[in-house]
Amino acid sequence: MSDRFFGAFGLALAIFYAYAASQIQESFLSDTVGPKAFPYIVAAIFGGASAYIEQRPDHEPVWPPLGRLVEIGAAVIVLMLYAQVLPEIGFVFATAFAAAYLSWRLGSGLLSSVIAGVSISVGIYIVFHLILGLSLARGPFDF
Amino acid sequence: MIFKATRLAFATAALAVAGFAAPAMAADFTAENPECIAPANPGGGWDFTCRQVGKTMQDLGLIKQTMQVSNLAGGGGGVAFAEVVNKRDSDNDLIVAASSATATRLAQGAYPGNNMSQVRWLASIGADYGVIAVDKDSPYKTLPDLLNAVKADPTSVAFAGGSAVGGWDHLKVLIAAKADGITDVRKVKYVAFDGGGEAITQLLAGSVQAFTGDLSETKGFIQSGDVRVLAVLAPERLGGEFADIPTAKEQGIDAVGANWRGFYAPGKMSDAAYDYWTKEIAAVYASPEWKKVMEANGLAPLDLQGADFQKFVANSVQQIQDISKEIGILK
Amino acid sequence: MDTLAQLAHGFDVAMTWQNIGLALIGCLLGTIMGALPGLGPSNGVAILIPLAFTLGLGPTPSMILLTSVYYGAMYGGRISSILLNIPGDEPAMMTCLDGYPMAQKGMAGEALSISGIASFVGAFLATWGLILLAPQLVKIALLFGPAEYFALFALAFMTLGGVSSSNQAKAAFAAALGLGLAMIGVDTQTGVPRMTFGEVHLYDGIDFLVAIVGLFALSEVFVFLEHRHGESDAAGRKVEIGRITPPWAMVKSCFPTMLRASGLGFLAGVLPGAGASLGSFISYSMEKRLVDREGTFGTGDPRGVAAPEAGNNAAAGGALVPMLALGVPGSGTTAVLLAVLLSLNITPGPLLFTQNPDVVWGLIAALFIANFMLLLLNIPMVGVFTRLLLIPPRILMPIVAMVSFVGIYGISGSSFDLMVMIGFGVVGWVLRKFDVPLVPVILGILLGNPMESNLRRAVQISNGDWWVLVGSPLAIGLWIIAILGFLAPIFFGRILRDRMKARSDEEGSLRD
Repeated sequence: MSDRFFGAFGLALAIFYAYAASQIQESFLSDTVGPKAFPYIVAAIFGGASAYIEQRPDHEPVWPPLGRLVEIGAAVIVLMLYAQVLPEIGFVFATAFAAAYLSWRLGSGLLSSVIAGVSISVGIYIVFHLILGLSLARGPFDF
Repeated sequence: MIFKATRLAFATAALAVAGFAAPAMAADFTAENPECIAPANPGGGWDFTCRQVGKTMQDLGLIKQTMQVSNLAGGGGGVAFAEVVNKRDSDNDLIVAASSATATRLAQGAYPGNNMSQVRWLASIGADYGVIAVDKDSPYKTLPDLLNAVKADPTSVAFAGGSAVGGWDHLKVLIAAKADGITDVRKVKYVAFDGGGEAITQLLAGSVQAFTGDLSETKGFIQSGDVRVLAVLAPERLGGEFADIPTAKEQGIDAVGANWRGFYAPGKMSDAAYDYWTKEIAAVYASPEWKKVMEANGLAPLDLQGADFQKFVANSVQQIQDISKEIGILK
Repeated sequence: MDTLAQLAHGFDVAMTWQNIGLALIGCLLGTIMGALPGLGPSNGVAILIPLAFTLGLGPTPSMILLTSVYYGAMYGGRISSILLNIPGDEPAMMTCLDGYPMAQKGMAGEALSISGIASFVGAFLATWGLILLAPQLVKIALLFGPAEYFALFALAFMTLGGVSSSNQAKAAFAAALGLGLAMIGVDTQTGVPRMTFGEVHLYDGIDFLVAIVGLFALSEVFVFLEHRHGESDAAGRKVEIGRITPPWAMVKSCFPTMLRASGLGFLAGVLPGAGASLGSFISYSMEKRLVDREGTFGTGDPRGVAAPEAGNNAAAGGALVPMLALGVPGSGTTAVLLAVLLSLNITPGPLLFTQNPDVVWGLIAALFIANFMLLLLNIPMVGVFTRLLLIPPRILMPIVAMVSFVGIYGISGSSFDLMVMIGFGVVGWVLRKFDVPLVPVILGILLGNPMESNLRRAVQISNGDWWVLVGSPLAIGLWIIAILGFLAPIFFGRILRDRMKARSDEEGSLRD
């Protein structure tokens, strides 16, 4: 059943992709093939594969219970927040927070996850910024 | 492909040289982390511009750190242009390599939504004349030979170049074809490669019959004898080791195509920074080291800075627009 | 003989204390950068360019430092593939397929050491290939016009099906997804934007690093979040790391694989634009066709670890051929190396070998030195690497996630890239659920643009005649291999699918 839905979704995506390809503005002087042909070919393969999956589904994957899905959703939101605030509050704080959250959700106790978060953040800062010299996000406190 | 990777090397440069240098507070502007974007893959003309100028600046002691070169290829320079206009519009440490190819695409509106006044034009560092070359075993011995073959059957000669369709490498062929009396220049067959190096390789591989590019890209292969340059699109013969190469003009085809090389800077760069960079580039140009680089790479003189350069680029854009309309590739 | 004399001269140039020190630093740093997801050989080399310049190193020492990093990163990429199922760089993607299952079976030590030996064999043979065959190999590269390149890329995709999934349709789905993503951005041929929906961040396309880190590393974090049933991880998991040196029988059984993979990988490296990822991919898929009679590839077969590692290290050496002899980079890393040579006023090209023999032969000698150094470093360090597995997932996974973010943000400085990466993480998790292989997605993103460009160039050259794609004996040969590779798994598909079904039932029962 899941595969049927997956195939149908893929088919819709392929149709959308072909539509998006048809919207590409050709430039005034193009090569023989043009910028649209290859995307059409890709859309066709994509659609064909999706249709096959829809018609000949594999056995059902093991879906996690709802609670686990919420867990993953929450992690995605935390990581997205992390990506947004990183340039605002600086690398060390943002990373300590995100790492502590993940560690907590993966089974650490509250205190040990805070310790883990801070040490991961500081450790990465030392290795990547001070040793390897990557420019990491600078917050108001310059780190 | 984009090499954002190189950008991360800034910090290393700062680290290695100055430890943790505090941001400059002095009134006179100095670039702390000088960066040059080369809007193409390594190995091409823009990349050469960034690296040679950066190296010379460092050798002359004009900048303390290594000039960080970021390769930001794509869209014939459009990706880099959009990046500068949209993301790094007020970056004082940044300069971007540019050339006639940049002007060409700006003239043809090929950087969607961008135009030349969105950035500040700094200075030129020389001009690189266009060449039309064939494989050493090619039956074509002169430019008229080649163009006659095009006239007889446009499909028989494929020109390979490093710019996209309608770009500067393409235009050079069209200018020559036009000068030779070929009226429907749209029939001239052109194949776009990712940079001059790849285009020459395919010329040697025999996939294409002719190559259009700049002299600096062709130099190594001229010395090794792998390619035969049919014509250089210069007003008169160049000096030094290139003195043997005939111009298009002396073969009766009045086509000149100079690919100037220079830099632009972000549009909101401060005046202090703009003056700083113009002065630095002028100092590079004036140095004997740079004269040597120019000679070694087949660059002809073109010495323009600041407002003069700004005007020159504006003229150049206008000129290309006129040519493109005349040739019929621009409405 | 002449060649050997020149090589001896090269060792003369390279064997100074300063150069050996530089090689050692380069090897160590390269291994570390290769192992960290998000930092691959090309960034690793790029990071150290300013160091080389500010130290005022001449051309030869600079190249020694940077090529040591290059080779080091090719060695390092396998470590996180094997231990964490997260490729450290893109060519190490194929090493996950058998390396991680080996680690799960408690053979992490063997997997690391056998892959270390395979890396050595691949790089060693490739360096000899570079010395003896460089002039001839350039001719091979020149046989490849646009039509032949297109056939080569098609071959890579058509042999995909049998490699990483039991369901051909899902492999095709994944490849099309990757190809479709590759189309995003400004068209390299005509300069028009495609599939960008007006979003400027998409103009330069999707960086494959963002995709690979998201699909592999972040989705792994999500998988761990999904499966945390309280006691099942941390305390519950018994960690075995296996032996530090592989049993002799294992080395012996892998040796023919290493030799074949080195040859194939080297050839793939020689072709400009194909590079190490294609090298490790083709080595793995061909080896699977050749020796996988019991269907053990993909379940922790040492040969499945040896093949891609020998292949990608050999490709790294092969990629130096077009860079040195033609001035055309064969991979991302050689593009950066080429840039370094250019800024040192050395123009690679047909005359490099005669104009700058010191640089070329010093570099080749340095490759040998770096390679031996890496072998000596890597085998004893297997024990250190495997300690990683002793870190409980509740600490290890946050580290993996955060290192992934740092790798991407440190390079691009863009929150947009991070958001795209998270998106890839979610997509990766969903695709894993549906048993859609991830390798073809990355392959599609990597090869999509060159594949399309070469198709368009070929048809443009032939004036719109699509038959040009099968217009040369070489192209026809490549297509025949591609079609055989595509059809074979379909004919044997039934047997394979039954076997897979039996296996996934087992997995299913283990999972709960």
